Amino acid sequence: MSQRYFEDVKIDDELDPIEKLPTADLATDFFGRDNPTNPAFADAEAGKRLGVGGALVPGMLKIAWMTQYVSDWAGPAASLQGIRVAYRRPDVADRPLTLSGRVVDKREEAGKHIVELEVATLAGGEPSVRGNVQVELPKRS
Amino acid sequence: MSPAATPDMLRLRGDSVSEELQSLITDAHRATIGVKSEPVTVTIREEDARRMRDVIGDKDARYADGTGIAPPYVIAAFGGRPNRMAPFVLPNGLLTQQEWKFTRPFRMGEKLQAVSQVFDIRERLGGRYGHSVLLTTSTDYYDGDGNHVAAALTTITQFDPKRAQEKSE
Repeated sequence: MSQRYFEDVKIDDELDPIEKLPTADLATDFFGRDNPTNPAFADAEAGKRLGVGGALVPGMLKIAWMTQYVSDWAGPAASLQGIRVAYRRPDVADRPLTLSGRVVDKREEAGKHIVELEVATLAGGEPSVRGNVQVELPKRS
Repeated sequence: MSPAATPDMLRLRGDSVSEELQSLITDAHRATIGVKSEPVTVTIREEDARRMRDVIGDKDARYADGTGIAPPYVIAAFGGRPNRMAPFVLPNGLLTQQEWKFTRPFRMGEKLQAVSQVFDIRERLGGRYGHSVLLTTSTDYYDGDGNHVAAALTTITQFDPKRAQEKSE
């Protein structure tokens, strides 16, 4: 993981897309097998009863991936300030998700050098989650 | 140009609209907005942080064993718990919006005070879930000195799967 600096970031910079494969096992392990969660995360039939086409991918697994995606891009001296997402469509386990992102703003805010990114997960080319992430980057000088 | 509506058509439309517009949200539901919960103690557990980190494949050295720092998404460990104050108007719910804010990194083993409230409750007609209720709750996390550490805002869309299915047919 390399460090990114505030001065070097430009609006419209794009992050390299990455692919994730959510599975029912991954969803269960994320929350812990002994912890109660939505049965639809592990059970395709329960997902179908909810109106989803199979086991539901937890939103919190996707937001965790988005958080990691931006943190990896920003580097170890960066500090994640916040993330806000809208889950537009449910995702179904075993269907790959592509994470993509782009810089939409950079600003100084209360002495911090903030870069804002738009991040999305794409399933079959269509966005299923859209979000904005704010990250504080160090300056070179 | 569409044909003019007859009185019968108008009555039918009127009945259908009034049925659809009948609010599912009561004064008792609205009264929960802004009422803060008693603080609940939550712990940033190393086992949660390590498990989540490993499941998502996070290799960030800041969150490696022994650093004492937990990744921000460990906040998800508290997100699955039902908010006792939150009204459940319809039988099913899906997470539709979420926000996390971080004032500082989480430290392994630290105990935080979580204070929750219903932030907003409103309803929506039409769309994928038919007549649905959007419930937004917020939780703020404070450390032992009363300093703010993080906040989470969550919107659950509550719906009746039977109604949603009927709408889509």
